[in-house]
Amino acid sequence: MNPDLSVRIGNLVLPNPVGVASGTFGYGSEYESLMDVDALGALYTKAVTPEPRPGNEVPRIVETPSGMLNSIGLANPGLDAFVRDKLPELRSRRCPVIVNVAGASEDDYLRVLERLEDESGIAGYEINVSCPNVSHGGLAFGTDPALVERLTARLRGTLRSGRPLIVKLSPNVTDIAEVARTAQAGGADAVSCVNTLVGMAVDVERLRPRLARITGGLSGPAIRPVGVACVWRVSRAVTIPVIGIGGILEARDALEYLLAGASAVQVGTGNFLDPGTAARVLAGIRDWMVRHGAARVPDIPGLLRA
Amino acid sequence: MRRFDAEVLENRELSRDYRRIEVEWPGEAGTPAPGAFLTVRVSGGTDPLLRRPFAFSGYDPGPGQASFIFQIRGPATRLLAGRRPGTALDVLGPLGKGFPDPDPGGRPVLVGGGIGLGPILYAARDFGSRAARGGWEAPVLVLGFRTAAQVPDLDFPEGTMICTDDGSAGFKGTAVQAAELAGAGGRYGPDAPPSYYACGPAPMMAALDRLAVVRYAPFWAAAEQWMACGVGACMSCAVRLKDGSFARACAEGPVFDGASIDWGAM
Repeated sequence: MNPDLSVRIGNLVLPNPVGVASGTFGYGSEYESLMDVDALGALYTKAVTPEPRPGNEVPRIVETPSGMLNSIGLANPGLDAFVRDKLPELRSRRCPVIVNVAGASEDDYLRVLERLEDESGIAGYEINVSCPNVSHGGLAFGTDPALVERLTARLRGTLRSGRPLIVKLSPNVTDIAEVARTAQAGGADAVSCVNTLVGMAVDVERLRPRLARITGGLSGPAIRPVGVACVWRVSRAVTIPVIGIGGILEARDALEYLLAGASAVQVGTGNFLDPGTAARVLAGIRDWMVRHGAARVPDIPGLLRA
Repeated sequence: MRRFDAEVLENRELSRDYRRIEVEWPGEAGTPAPGAFLTVRVSGGTDPLLRRPFAFSGYDPGPGQASFIFQIRGPATRLLAGRRPGTALDVLGPLGKGFPDPDPGGRPVLVGGGIGLGPILYAARDFGSRAARGGWEAPVLVLGFRTAAQVPDLDFPEGTMICTDDGSAGFKGTAVQAAELAGAGGRYGPDAPPSYYACGPAPMMAALDRLAVVRYAPFWAAAEQWMACGVGACMSCAVRLKDGSFARACAEGPVFDGASIDWGAM
């Protein structure tokens, strides 16, 4: 049996369910000599904001048990430089390129989306309403269901291309299922979950927080059970596809997400440990599908006995 | 740049705090330049999770061997210290930009502080072996440590100045003071203008930055920063520049024009 690995997100068909998460993979070329970027299920770019952002003070990362905290602060060259310097190369990719969009206000998100609608070579948009490391916007949107619905609806209204709109959810909320429902109500084609969990680490000898910005976002295997539970709850609250993210290092990790209800996954922190993680995860998913008689990726959630 | 399982050829204690690991490094993986680095996945599990960056301390294309010097600071480096020869180490490199060659007619002055000695030692050997061809003077090598017990058991190039803060070995004082004296002592004069190369703690780098300014000398600095990906993707290893912007230690660096770095922010 040769399983069908393709996955549908809105109008978009991904060649396989394993993508790489925004912020962990730059714009792709950084990893070019280490792996086959074009074989990815999807490449989610570093967040694009209207203006260039230098990012936060250092230290920006610290390792924690089976995880890491980051406080990068959406460092990126801004919309104009993205279109001028990054997009031409992304356009030549054979894998779907999904641009992650962030901002400090609703108008910021709209500005990025409107401009990118005029550009070719983009397969879809992931709307980052869940960054914990900026003072304005980011998480402030993602924790308020009414704001998520309004922002999603406004973005949906500006879309002319038919490209899918994916809303990236924060786990730092009381009820992630409610936020997911409002994203769907606003017109999202999919939700991705989860972004990082707010965390903090302290150097008890130097009597200082380990991150310059004090708190950061926790990622890595430490958050995997949280991510899987969020996917479980969200996939029961919405009818649109759910993309699972959080601590995927191996195929079995991705399969936890798929069995819990995800249609696709993203590898994030795992890229730092081994740039070949996404390829290894995909190969393992294929083997598993053969062993378990799953002909198509959407069949996987139905195999869970729960 | 390549990721591969390299055989550990040697894992040797150099002093109380420092060790050196030598691994096989085939030519196809790319030539590690002085100042460039590799990352190592220390454990196959999830704790410690991230790869650790280390500057190359040497490379011999003949047998295909590369080395790095590290200090035991925490769980990851303790695990590394226990790696036996014959086992495989998950390495990725060479990464980053190395030191530029000295100008013809000039004299490279290389200053290493503490664990910063690795890339400096490599650069000193490389510049020394190519001095006649490159047209520059033989390098001056200055290495600073806290105390004699830290001084590594290595064959240093002839004329290496060893400094300790407590005077228990070599010159009593900082490596920058020694570099300053070496310049004043006439080992090089106006006919051989110095160019500084350094890796070490931020206060040492800041002092060298000032010295380079008064000597009108170039200053090439290998910067250190926490990093996650090592290939320019994650924006973790930002280094603050004097113009207020950031640069990535792994991609624009780790070797920078030392005058461009805001050493007070490091």
